[in-house]
Amino acid sequence: MIIKKEDLFNFFATLTETHANPPQEIIIPAHSQWRTDDQRNFKIFKPTGADDNFTLDGYRPIFPLKNLFYITREALSTKTYEGPERIIAGVKACDLKALQLLDKALINEDFVDPSYKFWRQKTILIASDCTEVGNTCHCILVDGKPYAEQGYDINLSPLQDDTYLVHIGSDKGQALVDHFRKSYEVRDNSDETQNQVDQNRQQIIEQLQEQNRQYDRTKTYDTLKAARMDVWKQSSAECIGCGACTNICPTCYCLILNDESTDAAMFKKVRSLDSCQLHGYARVAGGASPRPKMEDRFRHRYLCKFLYMQSNFDMLGCTGCGRCSDACAAEIEFREATQKALFNENKPIESN
Amino acid sequence: MENVVYEKKDLYYPVMSDILSVETLTAMEKRFQIAMPENQPLNHKPGQFVEVSLFGFGEAPISICSSPTRSPNFELTVRATGRLTDKMHMLEAGSRLGIRGPFGHGFDVDVFKGKDVLFVAGGIGLAPLKSLIDYTLDKREDFNKVKIIYGTKNPAEILFPKAIEEWRQKDDVEFDMTVDRADKSWKGNVGVITTIIPPLQLDVENTVVAVCGPPVMYRFVLMALKAKRIPDDNIYISLERRMKCGVGKCGHCQINDVYVCQDGPVFHYPHVKSLEEAI
Repeated sequence: MIIKKEDLFNFFATLTETHANPPQEIIIPAHSQWRTDDQRNFKIFKPTGADDNFTLDGYRPIFPLKNLFYITREALSTKTYEGPERIIAGVKACDLKALQLLDKALINEDFVDPSYKFWRQKTILIASDCTEVGNTCHCILVDGKPYAEQGYDINLSPLQDDTYLVHIGSDKGQALVDHFRKSYEVRDNSDETQNQVDQNRQQIIEQLQEQNRQYDRTKTYDTLKAARMDVWKQSSAECIGCGACTNICPTCYCLILNDESTDAAMFKKVRSLDSCQLHGYARVAGGASPRPKMEDRFRHRYLCKFLYMQSNFDMLGCTGCGRCSDACAAEIEFREATQKALFNENKPIESN
Repeated sequence: MENVVYEKKDLYYPVMSDILSVETLTAMEKRFQIAMPENQPLNHKPGQFVEVSLFGFGEAPISICSSPTRSPNFELTVRATGRLTDKMHMLEAGSRLGIRGPFGHGFDVDVFKGKDVLFVAGGIGLAPLKSLIDYTLDKREDFNKVKIIYGTKNPAEILFPKAIEEWRQKDDVEFDMTVDRADKSWKGNVGVITTIIPPLQLDVENTVVAVCGPPVMYRFVLMALKAKRIPDDNIYISLERRMKCGVGKCGHCQINDVYVCQDGPVFHYPHVKSLEEAI
């Protein structure tokens, strides 16, 4: 099935009127009005917001999809959540893959994070193929692809003339498409359209390959463990331990609980994102810390992404979005540090 | 669009419990006897911990220092060393505390049954071990010889003088202790805990060891036990980490891919050996 982009945005804009129980909100990446680069971020879609420059194309937004499910700072209460579903469109494959990991961590037999589960249940995810490559994008280095193969309700692959090829991934997706078809015309797709999609995807993969040519991942991630400490020390030399990399990582979910109660009747517990990169993170009451040095904590993050999460969730903790490199105040390139550790290749740091 | 309703469970919400008594042990430590609502037993295993909270002050993981054989009430020995524990020290009998838990993997008492049991406690590490010591003494016939060794900084910091006196008096318990620095009144051993390990008479193949102490202690105690030819397989250690959530999510207690609040705090030593930065 092929739909027109214009129709889709009109459909979104009129959902409130045409649907008996409209979505609570529609969230779509939009170009920032105050940034000069081409980065986008998730924004609540407003039917009248023609100026906001919403788009389904490009590459992943600045902030991870995680932020819309595992709220950065959220008061936990025993109250019941209730509300109509919401739609998030323009979701990229790297972020969807991260949700897959978060699902394993936060909704399982032994443990359920109620608010994460709530947001997951109430969201319809519309994915779209990447049509551009960001400077730090490297999904292909971590078994990823610049388009989603699973985890979406609907996937949109751009074709020529501002049209999209539609793939339905779930019953929820089907229901939404059925509603769309009531008011808008759709065209059948042919082998040719699928070829067009395959060609577009291949083109993006080639761009990603070209951009990541210098990074060699032929070694298994197990070898990270064997990297000399001075390799980590040199890679983390500029690190200020701010935790931006973990906060912006689509799979990092480590949390801190804070009590903001005033009395028993006003019990308030707040869950916020924490970061293993912060100095006091693992410190115990007596003051001892298992990872007292920056390079210890830096190394822990890489090993967590490539080994510990692999061991606990049977998938890598890195989806190749590259946001950690973008967010780093010290401009540490994640791919480069990984590479150095994999190949244990640093000149020893000269001691003073 | 479908309407989604989700009932939140009481994740991270504590049960309000009563402090029955508070006993001052040293200048730094107090022992709290606590009752769960309606005197429900906590159903803990020796070596497990609870998350203790006070509204407005936060939450901290504290080892349970009493044996489940002495339930329904349970005891916590708490050193005043932070915002929450300082505030706890101001509480008296009749005050209330929030409790979550018990959490973690305690001592597998079945492994200790029929064996000689050696307890090695350093400083406040005696508190978590006391849950297993009391358990062992309450079910004394299940175990073979019982030896307890304890090291602390100075005589003023001896944690449970009354219990220690009882252990000394018992014919079926061997007890020895040492202090790092003596004062004028002290007539016992002086030196770190590893100085009282070599003289121990042990049936090494048949001895199971439980170790708990400050992080710095483990490496040296394990070396001393190795010198006594105790097999690694016979050693269990309880690790101190910052267990914040207690349910294996927050990451603060993480050692490699292991969450101490779930897989620990009590570990079989061969497992710990394979974990970097554990000890």
